Amino acid sequence: MTLFRQTSPNSARMEVLPEHESWKTWFQLYGPKLLLCARQWTRSLADAEDVVQEAFVRFWRHQRSLPGEPMALLVTSVRRAAFDLARREGRRIAREERVAADEPQAYFQIPVDGDDRRAAIEAALRRLPDEQREVLVLKIWGELTFEQIATELGLSANTAASRYRYALAALRQQMTLAECHG
Amino acid sequence: MDDELNSLESELRGLRPASVSRALSDRVSGALAAAPMRGANATVHWFWAGALPAAAAVVAVLLQLAPAKRGDSRSSTAVVASDVQLKPFAAENLLVSARDEGLVTLDDGTTARRERLRFVDTIVWKNPRTNASLTWTVPREEVRVVPVVFQ
Repeated sequence: MTLFRQTSPNSARMEVLPEHESWKTWFQLYGPKLLLCARQWTRSLADAEDVVQEAFVRFWRHQRSLPGEPMALLVTSVRRAAFDLARREGRRIAREERVAADEPQAYFQIPVDGDDRRAAIEAALRRLPDEQREVLVLKIWGELTFEQIATELGLSANTAASRYRYALAALRQQMTLAECHG
Repeated sequence: MDDELNSLESELRGLRPASVSRALSDRVSGALAAAPMRGANATVHWFWAGALPAAAAVVAVLLQLAPAKRGDSRSSTAVVASDVQLKPFAAENLLVSARDEGLVTLDDGTTARRERLRFVDTIVWKNPRTNASLTWTVPREEVRVVPVVFQ
């Protein structure tokens, strides 16, 4: 599975859906973004999927009629579910042992369509320090503001913004190095 | 940020997270089907619009009566209860959204217009002695069916 799919910048923006839309429409829109966010706080794709399932079901049943931005609510729910999962130590270990066998297929599949640039970005992103990568992912693909990120991660907005800039700079540096080495 | 970082940022925004697997969609579908949903699809009729504040008022009255009944008791519980003199302080019905769902035909054949309103109801109780407060906030959806007369 690849981490990203190429699309136009505008289509990545979150739309406000009418409330009568089915959960499938919502999940199609929010699911991929949530899964990417969840992968920042979990050890495997399987764990991330568990977390997204739990968070989305909770949101759809109990929280979607609440005022506020759905994505911010969902990200909070995902993060909480990820931490709950991590606390369930026994289950985590069992899951990791199971995932160890198929981890390459789940995480490191190289694109076969010649999209080297996308693969390079993905690889560079994975090499970022965790605290920078999570801010970058929440800002770019989670579409949260620095204030929302700060609230979510327990930081100041300035720290969140700094980490974001550091992440971009590190990403650029890594990609420049990768291009130099062919 | 310099132009190069802005360019990289734009490039990143052009990448979309990969779709979720069919298996995950199926699992979510199963989990949502496993129990009845609450929330936006739940219809709250006019009865409940009045019943909710009424229920809140009953709770407030009970909270005030409870220490009075135990007034002659010298137990520590009664002493604690006598401090809980909460009185209704404020109530608010905040309209979050309203949507006109168009014309519908009722069972008797008449035409009506259906509107779906979403509120956040907030009721605050306060204890004047201690200034302690209790705030109750609940989302509420309301469907109004208004008869339409064609002229």
